Amino acid sequence: MDVSGVLEAHKQKFKSVTVEGKIIPVEYDLGLLAAYDQNPVDEGELNKNKDEYLQSLSRDNAQLLFNEIFQLPTISDDNGVMAMLPTPTTLLPREKPLPKPKPETRWEKFAKAKGIVKRKKERMVFDETSGEYKPRWGYKAINDDGTKDWLIEVPAGANPMDDQYEARREAKKERIDRNEKRHQRNMEEAAVASKLDRKTVNKGERPNMDNARAMKRKELESQILITKNSTASVGKFDKAIEGDLKPRGIKRQFAPTITDLSKEKAGNMNILDKIVGKNGEDLVNVRKAIKATKRQ
Amino acid sequence: MRPLTEQETKTFFEKLAKYIGRNITHLIDRGDETYCFRLHRDRVYYVSEAVMRKATSVGRDQLISLGICFGKFTKTGKFRMHVTCLDYIAQYAKHKVWIKPNGEMPFLYGNHVVKAHIGRVTEDTPEHQGVIVYSMTDVPLGFGVTARSTSDTRKLEPTAIVVFHQADIGEYLRQEDTLF
Repeated sequence: MDVSGVLEAHKQKFKSVTVEGKIIPVEYDLGLLAAYDQNPVDEGELNKNKDEYLQSLSRDNAQLLFNEIFQLPTISDDNGVMAMLPTPTTLLPREKPLPKPKPETRWEKFAKAKGIVKRKKERMVFDETSGEYKPRWGYKAINDDGTKDWLIEVPAGANPMDDQYEARREAKKERIDRNEKRHQRNMEEAAVASKLDRKTVNKGERPNMDNARAMKRKELESQILITKNSTASVGKFDKAIEGDLKPRGIKRQFAPTITDLSKEKAGNMNILDKIVGKNGEDLVNVRKAIKATKRQ
Repeated sequence: MRPLTEQETKTFFEKLAKYIGRNITHLIDRGDETYCFRLHRDRVYYVSEAVMRKATSVGRDQLISLGICFGKFTKTGKFRMHVTCLDYIAQYAKHKVWIKPNGEMPFLYGNHVVKAHIGRVTEDTPEHQGVIVYSMTDVPLGFGVTARSTSDTRKLEPTAIVVFHQADIGEYLRQEDTLF
């Protein structure tokens, strides 16, 4: 039985799988199931009947993409035949901006200037007394800065009755405290530097630490002034302390030169009433009145 | 140029009230035109609204004077009256002193008024009261502050000071450049 006629008829119902007329070959990124057609759009065709032209264009490109996909190696599964997509080649732009570099601590800056490089040390160290590995520092450390020595020589000139273990513990604590302070200072400087950064970013200046200190000082001064005024009388009746901070940069406020003069007049009258009332200027001159009554 | 602050107005009025008392009202509330007090370079000017509005178009550095100068604020915040305000305070004065012709010249040269020169005094003038000094022909010559009350003056010798000199019209010549 010759079915070629039937097949031919069936085939006629569909469009051709081959696409022609692409001057620049279409690029594919099969990992993303994407095809990029660089060919210019035929403007005359586009203006004539837009929808039809765009539809045919996208159909052709989709056909090309499917042709590529069908050339990929496949695997068969219970769910059917599946193509193995390669890894995507197109680089997508980063969603978020790059993280800003951390502000340098004072030590990092110093080390950079001196060319000191940080060398990695292992965390675990072999402890000969117990015969096992122990952390160099921290919880269950090998020898916590000499506090775990089983014997300590009394240093020359020291009181033999003093507890040397206690002294070492104290020294360690002090070191920790000092480091904590340095850490705090670094944090403050970093905070100020980032603030300065935002200010100086347009000027292209580098924030320096003198600036940072000045800024910190300014901040503290303003805070002190606020606390000084935080009394029931808003600082009006507080005793002034010699050498105390004076508020700087606070501008006096005056009434505008041209205002409603009737209002100004009313204000002046109010003040006048207070003054004249205070001076005890009475309507009747008492001495004169007494004299007048005596004469009668 | 700006309006006086509340504190400034208070010190200014306190000084002015020593001479004219409640009559300051007549300066503030005039029938003919609206007048106001304006401060310019520590000086207080009594100026009509129309002139004041025109003066706003003059720069602060260029503006030398406007209206009538009533006096100036010292650096310590006190107020010192100038003789230029004499016309206004003479008009509303409560207490006056008239001096004899032989006492006019000493007063106009900036001296205090002694008892011998006094021709007439307002009755019942208290001590330390601001008074206007007139010549016997009723020409205001200046102003001062009484050293004694009227009743106490009677017991004094003729050379005793009765009125302390504050300002006199001789200053128009002596302090020509700083007065206005």
